[in-house]
Amino acid sequence: MLSRRLSEFVQALRGAGLRISPDEATIAMQAVALVGYDSRRRFHDVLSISLVKEEQHRAAFEETFARYFEGERRQADKAGDEEVAAGMPEALGPGDAEASGDADGESASPELDALLSASADQLQQRMAEAAAAMDFTQMQVITQQGLYTRRLLMNMGMGAVDDRVLQLSRGGAAAEARADGLRQWRGQVREQAASLVRRQFLLHGAARGRELREQTMRQVAFRDLREFREVKSLVRKMARRLASAHQRRMKVARRGQLDARRTLGRSIRHDGVPASLVWRRKPPQKSRVMVICDVSSSVSDAARFLLQFLYALNDVLPRVRSFAFASRFDEISEDFLRFPPDVAVARVLDRLSGSGTDYGEMLEGFLRLCEGPLDRHTTVIILGDARNNYLPERAELLGQIRRRVKQVWWLNPESRSQWNSGDAVMASYLPHCRVARRCANLEDLERVVDGLLGSLRPA
Amino acid sequence: MKTRIDSVEDITRSFAEQGYICSDQIALAVYLAAQLHKPVLVEGPPGVGKTELAKAAAAFLEAPLIRLQCYEGLDESRALYEWKYGKQLLYTQLLRDKLGGMLADTDSLDASMARLGDLGEAFYSETFLEPRPLLQALRSEEPAVLLIDEIDKADQEFEAFLLELLSDFQISIPEMGTVTARHQPLVLLTSNDQRELSDALKRRCLHLYIPYPEAAHEAAIVAARVPELESELREQLVAFIQYLREQEMKKLPAISETLDWARALVLLHADSLDQAVVADTLNLVLKTEQDVTLARELLPAWLRKFGKR
Repeated sequence: MLSRRLSEFVQALRGAGLRISPDEATIAMQAVALVGYDSRRRFHDVLSISLVKEEQHRAAFEETFARYFEGERRQADKAGDEEVAAGMPEALGPGDAEASGDADGESASPELDALLSASADQLQQRMAEAAAAMDFTQMQVITQQGLYTRRLLMNMGMGAVDDRVLQLSRGGAAAEARADGLRQWRGQVREQAASLVRRQFLLHGAARGRELREQTMRQVAFRDLREFREVKSLVRKMARRLASAHQRRMKVARRGQLDARRTLGRSIRHDGVPASLVWRRKPPQKSRVMVICDVSSSVSDAARFLLQFLYALNDVLPRVRSFAFASRFDEISEDFLRFPPDVAVARVLDRLSGSGTDYGEMLEGFLRLCEGPLDRHTTVIILGDARNNYLPERAELLGQIRRRVKQVWWLNPESRSQWNSGDAVMASYLPHCRVARRCANLEDLERVVDGLLGSLRPA
Repeated sequence: MKTRIDSVEDITRSFAEQGYICSDQIALAVYLAAQLHKPVLVEGPPGVGKTELAKAAAAFLEAPLIRLQCYEGLDESRALYEWKYGKQLLYTQLLRDKLGGMLADTDSLDASMARLGDLGEAFYSETFLEPRPLLQALRSEEPAVLLIDEIDKADQEFEAFLLELLSDFQISIPEMGTVTARHQPLVLLTSNDQRELSDALKRRCLHLYIPYPEAAHEAAIVAARVPELESELREQLVAFIQYLREQEMKKLPAISETLDWARALVLLHADSLDQAVVADTLNLVLKTEQDVTLARELLPAWLRKFGKR
């Protein structure tokens, strides 16, 4: 009984986004068996030690644990099978039904009698049978729960009760009282059915739904992403995957050739036998990334995610300096060093937001601030829509930057066809950019950053 | 090594006797690790006593503690074993004549080779094997506690290399075959979250997160470690540290810093926290100039609010 309950719990955790292998589930069960479950606190700790492997999953674990085991505290000392039927209403009894039926001058159907006279356990049994006949694995979104509850009740034969209630409500006062009783009874059964469906949803639906949502999140435009709660963890996940892939490649790329001179030198103490080999190491790369983000209202959403992404990549990109401009231009690296990305973005937007972007002035400001540090290890990334409000675009400044650095990338949140429409002046900047890409959603962003990391790797 | 652990309380009590005050969760993790023979991955901010935990566990189990400090570039030859090249060479030099004599009566190259072959693994035997921590833990005569410290500082390749050890307590050495643990060691890994560890590693371990302690807990730790400190000052000190942790510090003060500070206050014969004492000793607790400045600014307000009771 307990092990089934635990494996259901593990399923629910998976639904909530934790990755739990069968092996880990087995260990959790062994651990629970070892420690016992008399102490609730300890039961919780055992599960958290054996199942939660990342701190960011802690909240999801706590929530699922509460939902799963909180309700059972009351019944903790009761026997198992009693617990299953708890909450089911007791039988109304066919006698009542007959009596009211007589009053109506009608006889209730045998099916209705069977339902109403069933004990709590029998009713539970009936619901379980009806549920077994249904396919819950197709459930994907939370709003489908109502539909599935209704279907479950119909499969149990509760339709007869609905009919009867309708019939009775047209009758006299006595019938009305009976109808009230039936309604109440029906309400209780419905509650049970709803909770069964909810559990099924947690088991099957949540995981699939999450996949679906993640897929959507990757593809919707940045400005619509605010509506998703999980976007932060998705960004982190994507960044982490990229980081680990590139980290490994970088390691391999760094190993150099055999250093014959030093190997020979070192062999002297072993009588000329080259016992220890010395490898030449390629000098560590010094690539530096400077990001300039347009944070005017039209682009700020894209800037938010680009910056979050780059700072989440700290392992592989340790030297990022960031700048932002809207009506003013300023360095914002400090904000990101001191605060978590989402707080930092909010602060930056507070400080610099405004309208009337002037790309020419931005380029001038950037050169004034950082012309010194620009070198051939530097990559400059500009994120903006190049909408210059008909001001001079001063593309020659970008050329000046380009000549001093390794490469200039331009990311534009608008689609390519919009790049030169209206006051947008991408055409004048394009010749100076090694790469210019659309960057309108997380998928674009992932591709861009992947390419960026690839281009930074020493050949 | 102790073979029987009666209960989780047993561990808590023993740890307390050693001056390591731990939460129930920590003791539980050690208990499970010892009973289920699973490694534990211990995470948490620096200075909350992750390494101390391993020491306390070793003392409790009456087992030797074998420690492997990880760093970037750590490889098998540092972690597992190494052949003593020097000794091997020296031996061949010294035995040159002997070998020459042995081979003198052979007439063909093949015969010499065959005889050398008979010598077998003489030069790749235990005599020339330098066991490093991991091998020591596997071959230890009694079950040991193996501490793999700061695994996040090692490279990803090394992490992958550890997997065999962590799941089966065995390791493959090309020249000698598979070495299986004589007694399964209790393995503790610590990480400061510098780098994301691989899922494969996490899957094989129990996971324990040690957060900064709550006020009552921290006071108990200080009382156990620095008993000379008066209780009133201890309360005040802990309250101030807890307050600092709520601020936007670059580096939050950990338990080790609390203890350092407590010891310093004892040495200085301070009897309460006041502006002067704190100003003099604050850099024991906070490690960056920015944080010290911030704390100095916050101090008067805090003293007014909580300092006097």
